[in-house]
Amino acid sequence: MKRRDFVKNMAIASAGTPILLNNIKMQSIGKKLFDVPKSAEDRVLVIIRLNGGNDGLNTVIPRDQYSNLSIQRNNILIPEASVLPLTTEVGLHPVMTGMQSMYNAGKLSVIQNVGYPEQNRSHFRSMDIWTSGLIDNDPTTGWLGRYFQDYNPNYPTGYPNTTYPDPFAISMGYEVSTTCQGIMANFSHAVSNPFDNYNLLTSGSVNDGTYYGDQIEYLANLIDQANGYGAEINTAANAGNTLATYPSTTLGQQLQYVAQMISGGLKTKVYILNVGGFDTHDAQVLSTDTTAGTHANLLQTISDAVAAFQTDLQLLGIENRVAGMTFSEFGRQIASNGSRGTDHGDAAPLFLFGTCIESGIMGANPTIGNSVIDQDGVPMEFDFRDIYASILKDWFAVDTTTIQSFFEHTVTFYNVLGACSLGVEEKSLAKDEALLYPNPCSNSSTIRFKSGDEWVRIDIFDLSGRSVATICDSNLTPGSHDIFFETRDFQQGEYVVQILKKSGNVQTKLIKVR
Amino acid sequence: MPDQGNQGAISYSMTPYTGSWTKAEAAHLLRRTMFGATNQQILDAVSNGMDTTVTALLQVPIIGDPLAYDANETIVSFGTTWVNALYPANTTDAQTVENARMMSLGGWIMERLNQESLSIAEKMCLFWQNHFAATAVSDSRATYDYHMLLRQHALGNFKQLVKDVTINPTMLLFLNGATNNVFSPNENYAREFLELFTIGKGPQVGPGDYTNYTEQDVAAAAKIFTGYYVDGLRSSTATDVTAIYNGILHDTSTKTMSAHFGNAVIPDNGANEYQDLVDVVFQQDECAYFICRKLYKYFVNYDLTATVEANVITEMANTMIASNYEILPVLDMLFKSEHFYDIAIRGAIIRSPLDAYFAIFNSTESIANYTLDTNMEMMLNVYWLSEACGQAYATPPAVAGWPAYYQEPSYYKMWVNASTLKLRFDAATFVTILTGIPVNGEYFKVNALGFLDNLSDPYDPYLVIDDIADVFCPKGLSTTQKAILVSILTGGIPTSWGSQYGDYQIDPSNTTYSNPIRTRVEQVLYRVFQMPEFHVM
Repeated sequence: MKRRDFVKNMAIASAGTPILLNNIKMQSIGKKLFDVPKSAEDRVLVIIRLNGGNDGLNTVIPRDQYSNLSIQRNNILIPEASVLPLTTEVGLHPVMTGMQSMYNAGKLSVIQNVGYPEQNRSHFRSMDIWTSGLIDNDPTTGWLGRYFQDYNPNYPTGYPNTTYPDPFAISMGYEVSTTCQGIMANFSHAVSNPFDNYNLLTSGSVNDGTYYGDQIEYLANLIDQANGYGAEINTAANAGNTLATYPSTTLGQQLQYVAQMISGGLKTKVYILNVGGFDTHDAQVLSTDTTAGTHANLLQTISDAVAAFQTDLQLLGIENRVAGMTFSEFGRQIASNGSRGTDHGDAAPLFLFGTCIESGIMGANPTIGNSVIDQDGVPMEFDFRDIYASILKDWFAVDTTTIQSFFEHTVTFYNVLGACSLGVEEKSLAKDEALLYPNPCSNSSTIRFKSGDEWVRIDIFDLSGRSVATICDSNLTPGSHDIFFETRDFQQGEYVVQILKKSGNVQTKLIKVR
Repeated sequence: MPDQGNQGAISYSMTPYTGSWTKAEAAHLLRRTMFGATNQQILDAVSNGMDTTVTALLQVPIIGDPLAYDANETIVSFGTTWVNALYPANTTDAQTVENARMMSLGGWIMERLNQESLSIAEKMCLFWQNHFAATAVSDSRATYDYHMLLRQHALGNFKQLVKDVTINPTMLLFLNGATNNVFSPNENYAREFLELFTIGKGPQVGPGDYTNYTEQDVAAAAKIFTGYYVDGLRSSTATDVTAIYNGILHDTSTKTMSAHFGNAVIPDNGANEYQDLVDVVFQQDECAYFICRKLYKYFVNYDLTATVEANVITEMANTMIASNYEILPVLDMLFKSEHFYDIAIRGAIIRSPLDAYFAIFNSTESIANYTLDTNMEMMLNVYWLSEACGQAYATPPAVAGWPAYYQEPSYYKMWVNASTLKLRFDAATFVTILTGIPVNGEYFKVNALGFLDNLSDPYDPYLVIDDIADVFCPKGLSTTQKAILVSILTGGIPTSWGSQYGDYQIDPSNTTYSNPIRTRVEQVLYRVFQMPEFHVM
């Protein structure tokens, strides 16, 4: 028998139960380390994705940098007098009157210079990074997908059910959102119109025990799931209400649908909307008027629709239940190009909106130099993954240890939700606990654990009980440790990470995905 | 994964299949090797027999070039090809022209699928598109060349295909080969070359040792591949995008491979050195095993059990090794084998979006046949529908390809979720009982009457439904399901169908008689396309 056959047979023989380790109690990936409320009931997050890379410097204008901006981007520069002031240092594009009013009412915050280390300027790659929240690891799962997966490890088997009758997330349009990709399936449900009737023909077909039967059963269940979610959405949309006047744009229409579904009692926690067209390489402003043109139209679309949505939520009396966020895969370069446009850049501002957010401006204006540096972008001040993590903590009340397991960097939390924060402070790891982040992983992960002044050995076993790596074998000082290790070489599947130490051994599961 | 105990006695034999050769077996063969066979093609396969049909399938027909149709194409005229045309010098204008060429190319590729002949060519092109997974680049001439390279070798020599892909401009751009040089080596292509394209990554058995290759091999391969860059992108003077070798950029050191390759020493050989490496790597039989496993998952079943590995894969790989990496003999053996026709593997695959959409169109003999620009726009709509369902032909989502083809444990289940299943159903509804895809005042939808007229006996409603079940459903339909479809077809009066069909046949142009017939067939198809039994193959 060839070596490969042997290994395969071993894996089959031991499927699910490690030969050497099957008597040891393991922390499963689905098990919560700490018993804290998983999420705040009734709270909704609305995410608006600005596709193409939004020009942050013409959206949130650093007024104190104006003279140097005129050197860098004279052909697209907004006249100083037209800028809508938020503070003496910061202003908005003149079309964004709706969001200016929201700011003045304490319902809008600006987080400056959001990005990530070593910005990738490819649309696809950078959007993958933003939707997965992973940089070193492959974007196999989304940041919200990992959150949902954590308390629904078997999804989609058995969903919808009485505990979770509604979709976890709704993506407006036809595509599910990669932010919600879980290990087995995507947690978001695409809705183009909530009033659509979901009466897909149900199937009486049964599983005859063959491969064919297995697939038929899966499809028949999916039809039921689609109908189940569809009926809930339909009921909510019909029961819901809308009291504001929305602009007649796709985004306006979609936000109106969202208000209708929320007010109608749908228990969906996340809504995702997309606005395309931000890749403004040329003619982002009119040659005759830099406050008008493609980019101005896009910003007005966002500002008008978000303001109408906020008004609607207020009139419906559900303002405290909804928080919103915008994001884009990157900002654009500081200097404009010769075609009255801007090329792919780095960091950019991000908006949070709602009555619950900590309104104001977080972070400093970017410093604009007085000479053009080729391809220079705005440097990052805040890591977008920390903004995600802070929202999970303060808005959905996820404990910080669980949040850390969703990411590969050491998370920093910010106070982004002010008075409505439900944030739970971090509890320290017990001596027999360990945290793997990210988990699942593809290229690398980190294990966090505590030790005394003692010798520690950490091995990773595959399910046949074979050691695939030893990541620690030394004397450690007392305290918390983070040990980074590569997983790129592992086959996809489940592994057991075992920590041997006098103060308490730990076994925990690691999942490797492609 | 189903309980293997329930599978009965599956044959894993690769000896020639000698069992019954009926519509069920013939349709199974054509379903797995084409995007949507017609009833007549299935009947022909039955009468021609297995051997003749497989031989016919295993050839790659000659096709025409993509043609300019969009007003933004300002360099060549309408209806002529742009694959060796220049770009405007102005970058904004060049982007505008490229937009037109991308659409022309996308529509053209979909048209190839829609107009496929009795050939495995389109399925193989998609196989290689998934295997090498390079996404479209910024110059459609290069994207086209890459596609044509895959097509040229679709059934040819795997080793030669790997050689040619290695220095193909699209691949050089996709995995940074174009910027891999002696001054700043880039391992991206070298790593995927070993991990995903040729020998595959086995379990890690030591530091940096993945059973089949090591990190040393990745580093050596990266050095071997140095020296190439890409020239002519969006050029206003060069009629094609080309890979250029420049010796200054090449690492001339002598490279030594790991023990997995017999510590092979590869001395400097300039522009041809990459071929030396491919030859060394392909001396390992594992390369044959690796690609045969992938072919098996694509054409037969996702479940690569130890028994499949020991019997089927080993036989396939032996055949491939004996022919020095020719693809055709392997597929010839596979599609004539007992295992391939075993009832246990029929219907084991959930149709990809492209499989589903083109089964709907091709099996109903529905071809976009209007003016060039209308045809292209119709085909692009199918492209976008497929993209919305997760399968954009020109842009596989990752270098490993589409997850449904490799991601354990779900595999083909990943093609559908509650949303994309509804989208499939909605699209099928749109092209059956609703208007169809509207372009320039024409509508692309199922050709219900043409489809019906070519069935075995259109006058007999029971035989009509039998044919429909044979064409679209890998294990047919139950008696109850068929009774419902007969009822839909005949308005609940099966006895009146024959005379109604006869009335329409007297003067097929008289819509008074043809419309009710057409509508009924559309209603039946609408129903079939919403059945789980249609979405597997």
